[in-house]
Amino acid sequence: MNKLLQRVGDEAAQAWTVASKDIRVYYLRPGMIMFGFLMPFFMFFSFSVKREMAAAQGIARLMALTTFFTAAAAGPFIVPLERRIGTYDRLLAAPMSLITLLLGKIAVGAFFAIAVSVVSLAIGMAVFGVSIVNPALLAGGVLLGAFAFSALGLIFGSIPTRNPGDVQMPSTLLRWGLLFISGVFIPLQEMGSVARAIAYLSPLTYAQDLMNHAVSGSGLIAPWLDMAVLLASGVLFLVPSIWMHRRARKLGF
Amino acid sequence: MENAIEVRELSKYYGDLLAVDHISFDVHKGEVFGFLGPNGAGKTTTQRMLTTLLEPSGGQIVIFGHDLALDSYPVKRRIGLVPEESNVYTELTAWGNLMFTARLYRVPRSERGSRARELLEMFGLWEKRDVKAENFSKGMRRRLSIAMAIIHRPDLLFLDEPTSGLDAQSTRAIRALIRQLNSEGTTIFLTTHQIEEANLLCDRVAIINHGRLAAIDTPEKLKQAFRKVQSVEVAFEHGPEGIGKKLEALSGVTTAAKMGDKWRLYTEDPSVLLEHVIEFARQNDLRIVSLSTLGPSLEDVFLEITGQKVGTVMYRTGNEGAGRRRRKRR
Ligand SMILES: Nc1ncnc2c1ncn2[C@@H]1O[C@H](COP(=O)(O)OP(=O)(O)OP(=O)(O)O)[C@@H](O)[C@H]1O
Ligand SMILES: [Mg+2]
Repeated sequence: MNKLLQRVGDEAAQAWTVASKDIRVYYLRPGMIMFGFLMPFFMFFSFSVKREMAAAQGIARLMALTTFFTAAAAGPFIVPLERRIGTYDRLLAAPMSLITLLLGKIAVGAFFAIAVSVVSLAIGMAVFGVSIVNPALLAGGVLLGAFAFSALGLIFGSIPTRNPGDVQMPSTLLRWGLLFISGVFIPLQEMGSVARAIAYLSPLTYAQDLMNHAVSGSGLIAPWLDMAVLLASGVLFLVPSIWMHRRARKLGF
Repeated sequence: MENAIEVRELSKYYGDLLAVDHISFDVHKGEVFGFLGPNGAGKTTTQRMLTTLLEPSGGQIVIFGHDLALDSYPVKRRIGLVPEESNVYTELTAWGNLMFTARLYRVPRSERGSRARELLEMFGLWEKRDVKAENFSKGMRRRLSIAMAIIHRPDLLFLDEPTSGLDAQSTRAIRALIRQLNSEGTTIFLTTHQIEEANLLCDRVAIINHGRLAAIDTPEKLKQAFRKVQSVEVAFEHGPEGIGKKLEALSGVTTAAKMGDKWRLYTEDPSVLLEHVIEFARQNDLRIVSLSTLGPSLEDVFLEITGQKVGTVMYRTGNEGAGRRRRKRR
């Protein structure tokens, strides 16, 4: 029992070691800034400015977008880069489980997303001047969304390759695809039944709905369900990452 | 004698390519074990399997009594790994790199600083501890990468061509470090394609080529084979018919093999043969276009040991690895 606790403690510390190192090494890389930081703002303004829109709706959308894009930017960028320079081998050879390594990598994107969200919340509130109905829900949404979307990004990072360029394309495609089916730009209420059924397949839908609850106090899905789905999808997204890491160990990447 | 590593029938396929072909060997505790082979022989592939980075296609690896396929965690804690390319974080300082690795390997907090300092001093990097590794020379990076591999004091250290591409001074320093670590009790698994390096450092040497092991023996015993496959390479302006037979008949020549427009004459004593060849050219009115002596090539050593005919494999240089069949993977 004691040994088990010791091991769990070790693994937690190792996950944090991995994450904190990446935070120091990669956060200010141009690739991360470009895909993580600027993209959501750019998209937000290009899609939102022209349309008449309630301020609260704008904030909720901004929060969903920033968590989504920023969190998912880290994995596909960092892991192939580390494979290329060979530092990933050190992580793989270290005495820790693969899950620990993956959770550490997920934390990198998640913290990035949380930090950017806080900034965009401050900017958004300054611009729109709204107050948040349920801050706890907002915090929960950002946290769980950051986890789920970072885990999603890591799936692409886990593709056996040494070239970040190889995964940038599919990961960007998927993110844009999700964006358009997810009830971010068209509220769920205004969707047809088919479109809505599709929207329910995307975790981003639940993040957006949760943000709506938090900011304006109204959403279509129960908040607890939103949170449960985000948590569950984050955990589920680990599966393909694990599978692809196993594959990489066979192929020799 | 107790074994640090026991390998049985280990093999690895990359698709259809059989990179490691059912090899078996033991590494004893406390020895420096050399894994010697030309480019593309399967050295790195083997080392990556031994260090859990690559999954074998077949066979068994037991390290310190643990079967890697079943239970790699206790093994991972006790091994250190220096890969072919120095894998330091260029954005971090030497100190930052060591601290990161120490935390990753759960070195107790109270010891991290003192161990890092000790290693930096031992590796001549203490003055540079606050310099980012991106400003380091190749030799400094390699030293840092070795320091990172031993900060958790592994019982078994794997090094993949630790001196390749380094100048004489860095090479000497790294070899001295390997000896020191070994004298302090670390078992060393040293991958190299330099015969000289294996001779200098290793207690026993395994020779691998095309994924197969030819021999495992002390460098002293292998030297016999090394000596036999030295050679003299000569090209004549116009080589007449049947010259091969004549060359082979020269005293000291064991085999004559035609390599493009050159003849390679295998011998145990190249310097004496050199004179015979010049004499032969004068007697036969032949003009020598080029003439050189070559040390043993690993390809030839491998053929010699496995009882095959030397000179049947094409190669480029004498000492460096021969026959680059290497498919680039980066
Ligand atoms: N990931 C990979 N995918 C496919 N083939 C590979 C891979 N890695 C190595 N190979 C091939 O396997 C063979 C053995 O390669 P390996 O890198 O183990 O040789 P090596 O002895 O380390 O050579 P070198 O001295 O050049 O480092 C080579 O033919 C190489 O092209
Ligand atoms: Mg190699």
